[in-house]
Amino acid sequence: MSRGGSPRRAALRLLTGAAFTVVIWCGVLPRVLVWPPVARHVALMEDRRVDPAAMYYTELERLPQRPDWIERRLVLWP
Amino acid sequence: MRKRLHEDTAAVVIGLAAVLLALAVTWQSRPTEESGSRVRWSKGWPTPLAASVGMPASWASAPLDAFRDASGRLAPAPVLLGMAWVTLVGAAGTLLVGGRLRGFLPGAVLIVTLACLAYVLAGQKLVKYYNLEYPLWAFAVGLFVTNAVGAPGWLRPALLGEFFTKTGLVVFGAEVLVSRLLALGLPGLLTSWIVTPIVLVTTYLAGVHWLKIPSRPLCMTLSADMSVCGVSAAIATGAACRAKREEISLAIGLSLFFTVIMMVAMPPVIGWLDLDPIVSGAWIGGAIDSTGAVVAAGETLGKEQGDVAFTVKMIQNSMIGLIAFAVAVYWAGWVDRSATGPRGTLLGECWARFPKFILGFLALSLACSWLDSLGPEPALWVKGATDGFTKHLRGWLFCTAFVCMGLQTDFHELAPVLLSGRPVVLYLVGQSLNLALTLAMASLTFGWLFRKAVAP
Repeated sequence: MSRGGSPRRAALRLLTGAAFTVVIWCGVLPRVLVWPPVARHVALMEDRRVDPAAMYYTELERLPQRPDWIERRLVLWP
Repeated sequence: MRKRLHEDTAAVVIGLAAVLLALAVTWQSRPTEESGSRVRWSKGWPTPLAASVGMPASWASAPLDAFRDASGRLAPAPVLLGMAWVTLVGAAGTLLVGGRLRGFLPGAVLIVTLACLAYVLAGQKLVKYYNLEYPLWAFAVGLFVTNAVGAPGWLRPALLGEFFTKTGLVVFGAEVLVSRLLALGLPGLLTSWIVTPIVLVTTYLAGVHWLKIPSRPLCMTLSADMSVCGVSAAIATGAACRAKREEISLAIGLSLFFTVIMMVAMPPVIGWLDLDPIVSGAWIGGAIDSTGAVVAAGETLGKEQGDVAFTVKMIQNSMIGLIAFAVAVYWAGWVDRSATGPRGTLLGECWARFPKFILGFLALSLACSWLDSLGPEPALWVKGATDGFTKHLRGWLFCTAFVCMGLQTDFHELAPVLLSGRPVVLYLVGQSLNLALTLAMASLTFGWLFRKAVAP
């Protein structure tokens, strides 16, 4: 499973990857976050407490309820 | 000599133990006042276990913010305890299947640390609010480590990706409440139960017979991921049809990529089409893969659309257990049987090959659904146990499983399929069918057939 190459080269690869990740996550992404269209989307999601990364409905911070008005507009069980 | 358990049995034993522990502790600390009030206990009964399993929080520019509590203080203890729970589950699994704890522990420390790193990467606000879920980063972190420096030999005993997935799925069963299927009455059932199976089966058959993708598990995982509910469906059906880790990861990667596009593109398209709010909510709920992205897209259009979209998706979410069970039966009874040639009765062979952990998953799903249907108090009990403890434990288990998958992945095996572009074509064909059928069914049921003549 181990890749070939000297330990020095492996360490260099690891450091380069780590540095790249730090630059992207701490430098680039925070700057994109303040770009107006993105900032608007994030603000809307935060305001409505929506977590778009929720994998399952139980992970949502605020569970939207089955709307009360739905039975006034639809026949649920004919 | 120690008696060894099969990995599936060990996953069921540990998964059941975790859920029973959560239920017992939550019951012990049940509230004495208004214990049946859904308003007061909107997140279920509080459980003391909640403090013992935390996840890194979301952050904008300083990763250390992921370890701050609500008051802004640095409080990494809940996260460290979450990591400890995964290590404990892995250690118990190692012992039950006859492995050595001494071999497991050093690797486990590194793997859960990588899982924590994946959660931190997924918690960056831009990443989080554009639906790039933690499995993607967990897999990427593992893949990077193994390709940059290689996975050392001492890590091998801790690479329990399949075991963590199976245990996570058994624990996940407690959250899959079948009673949610009826939340939107007949229109909801028709939209979910007619469109989803049609898209699932058609996409699978198109992958196998038309595009001739050599791996049937890849076709099934991709189809379930796209037609049911994204990552969670990919994990459940991928495990049920014994898909390779590369195949599950590929299906999830494709799904997340297209989900981001659909989450951003569908609201303006719906606005341009000027669709009815209920129909548009149902369309979003049925068509977008990922649950969080469904709510995000729906809420972008408005509260009505968001609520309907969420409810339709919740119905699809509730189908995971039944679909995983059906896929496991089909695989054990037909796909694997025809691959090796029949050697006994259909039922006998089906049972011999059946992934037994699916039974644990289904049993917990049915038991918790039954409890949930008994009334407000049992429902709040289950909700407290799952919201406070098991959903976090399940998240850690899946995250760690994906780190292990990344660390063990050999993309050379999958390269020919990937380079052929056929999985992407299959996803696009299936998703196009999904979009068209869901819109047709949502318009028929929510827009016309079950619509009351005059809305007050």
